Amino acid sequence: MVTTVTSFGRSGLSDWLVQRVSAVVMTAYLIFIVGYLLLNSDVSYQQWAGLHSGLPMRMFSLLTMLSVAAHAWIGMWSVLTDYITVRTIGPKATAIRIFFQLGMIAMILVYLLWAIDILWGI
Amino acid sequence: MLDASLESPENFAAIKGWFAHPLCQITIWASLAALAYHVVAGIRHLMMDFGFGEDSFESGLTSARIVVLVSVAMIIFITAWIFLW
Repeated sequence: MVTTVTSFGRSGLSDWLVQRVSAVVMTAYLIFIVGYLLLNSDVSYQQWAGLHSGLPMRMFSLLTMLSVAAHAWIGMWSVLTDYITVRTIGPKATAIRIFFQLGMIAMILVYLLWAIDILWGI
Repeated sequence: MLDASLESPENFAAIKGWFAHPLCQITIWASLAALAYHVVAGIRHLMMDFGFGEDSFESGLTSARIVVLVSVAMIIFITAWIFLW
């Protein structure tokens, strides 16, 4: 089982659960933000900064970003291990896939660290 | 965008200005349209995990059609929100 070395939780069952829990967290956040922007369509800087400076909102945002990171990691792993395989594109597939997977993981981590900096830097 | 919008009132106003630009609007429209479809199809996936509508080929086909219809409705709403609001 070479393919599991780049998976998120090193176990299919764990990834399966994380993918679903993170989906629910992100859907809740999406509904909240869309609802907020619909109710405050002409939001001011003071309102917007005020919303994001409270601890509960920061935690909700960070929880969502952690969910995005895990969800993207698992989702991209699924897609890459399905389509960039020796059977589909030939003998160099494993090297190419590892390159894309590590690049994808690096991007996810950069986004995550950036989000923490944004949320705690207000 | 979140970074800039929270940095200062000036940057917040600048971001608001971007939203008036067609290129920015089209990019956001495409992102939100794709996200809407992804979320609706994801909710179908979750419902099937809980055992709803995964009993036959027909019920799967019906729920897939519902996903397309609901997504189209949401994308119409997104279009109105971005371009007509």
